[in-house]
Amino acid sequence: MEQTIPVQSIDIPLLIERAKEARKLIIDMASAPTGCHIGGSLSVIDLLVGAYARYYGDPDTVIILSKGHAAAALYATLHVYGIIPDNPTDSYGEEGSLFTGHPNHKLPGIPFATGSLGHGIPYAAGWALAQKMKGTKGLGIVIGGDGELQEGLCWETAQIVQAQSITNFVYIVDCNGGQNDGYVEDISPIRNLRQRFEAFGFVVKEIDGHQLEDIVASIEPHPERPVAILARTIKGKGVAALEGNPESHYAKIPKKLAYRWKVGLS
Amino acid sequence: MTKSGRDSYKDELTSLASHNEQIVCIEADLGGKNHPFQQQHPDRFFNFGIAELAGIDMAAGLAEAGYVPFFSTFASFAALRASESIKLTMGYMGKNVKVVAAYGGVSGGWFGTTHHALEDIAVLQSFQNIRIACPYGERETRRVIQEAASSEEPYYIRLSRNDVFDSLLREEEASCREMIVEGEHRNGLSRLCLVSVGEQATELCQRIIQEDDSIAHAHLCYIDIQSLKSYTEQLTALSHRFLVVEEHRATGSTASYLALLLPKYEIYSHDCGEQWPIYGGTHTEVLTFLGFGYETLKQQIQDILGGTADDF
Repeated sequence: MEQTIPVQSIDIPLLIERAKEARKLIIDMASAPTGCHIGGSLSVIDLLVGAYARYYGDPDTVIILSKGHAAAALYATLHVYGIIPDNPTDSYGEEGSLFTGHPNHKLPGIPFATGSLGHGIPYAAGWALAQKMKGTKGLGIVIGGDGELQEGLCWETAQIVQAQSITNFVYIVDCNGGQNDGYVEDISPIRNLRQRFEAFGFVVKEIDGHQLEDIVASIEPHPERPVAILARTIKGKGVAALEGNPESHYAKIPKKLAYRWKVGLS
Repeated sequence: MTKSGRDSYKDELTSLASHNEQIVCIEADLGGKNHPFQQQHPDRFFNFGIAELAGIDMAAGLAEAGYVPFFSTFASFAALRASESIKLTMGYMGKNVKVVAAYGGVSGGWFGTTHHALEDIAVLQSFQNIRIACPYGERETRRVIQEAASSEEPYYIRLSRNDVFDSLLREEEASCREMIVEGEHRNGLSRLCLVSVGEQATELCQRIIQEDDSIAHAHLCYIDIQSLKSYTEQLTALSHRFLVVEEHRATGSTASYLALLLPKYEIYSHDCGEQWPIYGGTHTEVLTFLGFGYETLKQQIQDILGGTADDF
């Protein structure tokens, strides 16, 4: 049975390459006839690549992407790790394809279909509780969005996690500052986020959500408390035309533009 | 002493958990103090508090890890408030979660409409792939809990509040998936077959056929679409005319789906009508206000069959 990979043995330059490869796949999915949620996919991709680098192969740990609109990022990550052999860009969004616009639980490596925001968080918490009952070292790891925190279900879960002392739970928030209709700050600001999570008993870490070394080091359980990782990210990260622009939430782009964006990835 | 469906559930699950270490009992602050499961299996009992959506989603995570979680709250809060969690986890993804929903129908009586659920079966039936059971009395409730615990299918089990009933006789090894028929005619079809779903309905139907042996009675415990399909052959051998008695709205009721399954047969519904139950009262009194009860059922039968109400 494979075990969790120690931080020091993780090849960070390789992860950076994997993240770049995944970004190219995301851009290609944006050039599919359907387009995709490109902005949030590019912001969360380093978090996904880092989480899988640490815990892929640990049967007792689950990694859930709760901000399911970033499905392109999840498919790309699972493909670069070989969990999904088929290239998602070959059929993304097409008739008969399992690569739907939000994560499809019929695909390998996706135990839970997210997309309706909030639901992935309690699912991961339930998995964590199960591992606690079994006495394994497994974790429930969930990656959500900052806009998603407007859903009460996130905080319902934080309340239960605290009340049930579910300490093998890691909640990563992709703080890209955007949501469907604009900036989180303009629509329903999530202020004092550190204090909010601390009030629910979480140990809070704040990181740069694009520094893979920091990411892999931070996704660690605390022996006595659940962990919240507030990852500062940039919506559309890697594509200059998209970075920080809430209009990048969803895009359908021509193939030629996709080519230019892939060549110009920073 | 016979127990209510709610107490039967707690008792049976507690007993089953002694032999099945995968069973987990989850409450949403409506399980009551001194829960027997908590007393006997404290490491597998969780009161998640007033958080129904999170509770069902967490149950899905527990199920994925191999546990058999039973999540209990009131029907309105499960089927309506947490309906999306049920749709996604149990319906779409088929996670092995069992929802046990007390206060079905208007069994909450004077507690008012927030605590009534006359729409839950319509919601649950529309989700597909979830077993829906409405057991009648203690024995049938216990049997359904046993069947749910040993099945890998998601379940929605609708219970009442504190009413107590003796279940209809069923063979020792028979599954609750099998319908129970009373008043079956040995020679030919009955002029009407009552189809009962749930406790109050079954009680009413029993009373009717005791007074008129020309009417048959089919009691259905499971009413999900797959189960309803399995009943059609047996039902059509009983009569050409059916009156479904169910504590629910007509929309999305068992009657409405049977009508789709049996388009050449006469299907009628004795249900809770179209009014909101705005007044207090006992369970039976609220049902009476909604037009559901012995007198109105008797009149409806007379209207269907013709003649006077005294004819049967």
